[in-house]
Amino acid sequence: MSEYLLEMKGIAKQFGGVRALDGIDIKIKPGECIGLCGENGAGKSTLMKILSGVYPHGSWEGEILWDGQPLRAHSVRDSEAAGIVIIHQELMLVPQLSVAENIFMGHELTLPGGRMNYPAMYQRAEELLRELQMPDINVALPVMQYGGGHQQLVEIAKALNKKARLLILDEPSSSLSSSEIAVLLNIIRGLKAKGVACVYISHKLEEVEAVCDTIAVIRDGKHIATTPMEKMTVEEIIAQMVGRAITTMYPPRDHAIGEVIFEARHITCYDVDHPQRKRVDDVSFVLRRGEIVGIAGLVGAGRTELVSTLFGAYPGRYSGTVWLDGKQVDTSSPRKSIRLGLCMVPEDRKQHGIVPDLAVGQNITLAVLHSFSRHGRIDAERELNTITGQIARMQLKTASPFLPITSLSGGNQQKAVLAKMLLAQPKVLILDEPTRGVDVGAKAEIYKLIAALAAQGVSIIMVSSELAEVLGVSDRVLVIGEGKLRGDFVNHDLSQETVLAAAINQAEQHRSTAP
Amino acid sequence: MTHIAIKQFFSRYKIMALLIAIAFIWAFFSWKTEGGFVTPRNLSNLLRQMSVTGILACGMVLVIIAGEIDLSVGSLLGLLGGVAAILNVSTHLPLALNLGLVLLLGLLLGLFNGYLTAYQRIPSFIVGLGGMLAFRGILLGITGGMTIAPVSDDVVYLGQGYLPAQAGVALAIVLFLLTLALSWQRRRNRARHALPLAPLWRDGVNVLIIGALLLIFVRTLNSYDGVPVPVLLLLGLLGLFSYVTTQTVFGRRIYSVGSNMEATRLSGVNVQAVKLWVFGIMGVMCALAGLVNTARLAAGSPSAGNMGELDAIAACFIGGTSMRGGSGTIYGALIGALVMASLDNGMSMLDVGTYWQMIVKGSILMLAVWVDVNTRGGR
Repeated sequence: MSEYLLEMKGIAKQFGGVRALDGIDIKIKPGECIGLCGENGAGKSTLMKILSGVYPHGSWEGEILWDGQPLRAHSVRDSEAAGIVIIHQELMLVPQLSVAENIFMGHELTLPGGRMNYPAMYQRAEELLRELQMPDINVALPVMQYGGGHQQLVEIAKALNKKARLLILDEPSSSLSSSEIAVLLNIIRGLKAKGVACVYISHKLEEVEAVCDTIAVIRDGKHIATTPMEKMTVEEIIAQMVGRAITTMYPPRDHAIGEVIFEARHITCYDVDHPQRKRVDDVSFVLRRGEIVGIAGLVGAGRTELVSTLFGAYPGRYSGTVWLDGKQVDTSSPRKSIRLGLCMVPEDRKQHGIVPDLAVGQNITLAVLHSFSRHGRIDAERELNTITGQIARMQLKTASPFLPITSLSGGNQQKAVLAKMLLAQPKVLILDEPTRGVDVGAKAEIYKLIAALAAQGVSIIMVSSELAEVLGVSDRVLVIGEGKLRGDFVNHDLSQETVLAAAINQAEQHRSTAP
Repeated sequence: MTHIAIKQFFSRYKIMALLIAIAFIWAFFSWKTEGGFVTPRNLSNLLRQMSVTGILACGMVLVIIAGEIDLSVGSLLGLLGGVAAILNVSTHLPLALNLGLVLLLGLLLGLFNGYLTAYQRIPSFIVGLGGMLAFRGILLGITGGMTIAPVSDDVVYLGQGYLPAQAGVALAIVLFLLTLALSWQRRRNRARHALPLAPLWRDGVNVLIIGALLLIFVRTLNSYDGVPVPVLLLLGLLGLFSYVTTQTVFGRRIYSVGSNMEATRLSGVNVQAVKLWVFGIMGVMCALAGLVNTARLAAGSPSAGNMGELDAIAACFIGGTSMRGGSGTIYGALIGALVMASLDNGMSMLDVGTYWQMIVKGSILMLAVWVDVNTRGGR
């Protein structure tokens, strides 16, 4: 029998022509907790999907040894049968069902005739929660009566009930308070003592430092290093995580920056489901004419909530004021904002960007359709002229403006959504993850377009999870962490380390003084 | 008109299939009734029977394209028809005033439904269910459960009248010239934008086929009593609503709201107002259908329009309107209404029991949607 519970050797995975993972080697002993670190998009999730059987054996290269034996999982069920259980970032609980029913979902204990054996399930569920030092949970109550922290523990109980020997925790603390996190870390220590191995994925490096024995860092799909935690510092982890050279994808930043045109004051917004919890906490910033401001931060830090509040699209409660050209303006709905010249290209292209039943051209003119109409009738000719003009300007690749928008590639769909908002002639343009799911060529074209817009005097707010992109395009970088403004940096030789450290709140904050 | 080319392309085969289905249904009934089904008299009847469902379907197709549903239209039709009958019988209101009042009432009740759906966020299914009960209840209350009769002749003309033969011929000529003009304009526009053009002879043949159909239509109806007034109304609505859905800002927004409401809202469109007015239009259509129905029966009946919503919704779905919103056509819905009316009419002529009629209509609806869903999924 091998010393290691799990050995992953030379794991590689391709998506189309893109190499998402390239030769990853990871070994885990029983009772060991390994911290898996990397930037957004580095390949952590892909690796864990391979391990947990989401990507079946054969769809990737390399070898997985489990207890010294080759593991060939063809589905999540296979890997769960072996004892590998993943707890996803989003909780997979049915809120209306009881704690016990959730723990036993798919593995219910039954009596003859298919009846649920509630006494046995309640007893076992209570045992599990006692093991997790949470004896005060009533397992017969619906899960939704408990907060996010308790729900996370129910997920862990569910995993333990499947006799997990390796537990994968993907960002388990993103919805937890600091006291709940302390409980979670204690439980992981307890599991380790019982010989359960863990893979801990988190952007919060202080948690990783507190609970992990080993740190494995991946970057751009490559395995950088695996080091025992005692030989590492958080700063060294960050240095391993970044350190990617910025290529020539980005156009030179030589546009003129003018006077202050836009100002957000004391923006606070509250969670939709938990109206007491702040998603954005008192953020204020200014924007100058022709300036590109990048908003960096971790996933879930509150960036999207911030910009959608500015645009009037945030569904929950919020407070704060928006000022344009020195006057306070009403941006309480997208309609009002667009009329003022404040436009947004939303993050989720499929849900919020394209209208799937309309043609490419009809999507492009959606926001300004009334300007082609006389007495409500669309002047088809003027509309078509505008559409063909926009298609040429954006280098949008489509055989005809009459094709369904869903027939285009992601990058071209994104260009169509951008074209739609540009027709509204924005003074301030908010771009939320403008290059998500866009191929490299289209990315470079979008960066060029952003620079050209800034040169014309349009002010741009760009939210992005790709640090390289933020640093490559922005004149100034705002860092949001846990809903608060953690840093406001002028982008002069700004390093990824500085930004990431501010986002993770490790290093001291470098607040800029100029301009 | 070119910008709906793609949508037409996708729906063209569906419409052809529907037309073939109608041809089959008509051939079957003609064979069974030994030609009785296709006599001018019966066809005239068939079209008049179809008119109430057709008027409702014109409004319903907009509601469904916008991603909503309205189950209250049958009861609302009955209520508004009843109000028209009461105003006519007990107060002898002049026809124009009566029409105006009923249409206004229909608009207001429709807007009320729309307000509850769009602004108060009650799902339209529930608003419709509530309205279905409440409007029927009001109708029973104001009529005391009795039939209101006799309505005056000028009202009856709306449902039972015919155009004089010459007017019918004039109508056919006007429609033919309109078809010619629109085809020519379409060709000119496509040529100007260097878009692919169908050969001239094909467009010519199309126009000639439409002309021939118009000729047959008017001659057949004229050889009985003429073009019925409700059929004329339906043709007018077909033209008006086709124009609204394909040529206007409002029409484009209906499709856009139904296809992706959130993206439309984020593009600065007042999506609530769009839905509000779609329901408003539905209310006006209920008023028109109610008037025609009262006129056809020459009385206001407390059971008028019973199950009318189901016929209208079935017509839309048979006519290829998407269940999740975002696509559908007026002419499709009217062809769907023609399918339903043909089944009703033919089976009645054959003395098929009511229960069989219901079973057949229900099965045809499911068959049509089954075909629709499966051809969609395969793409």
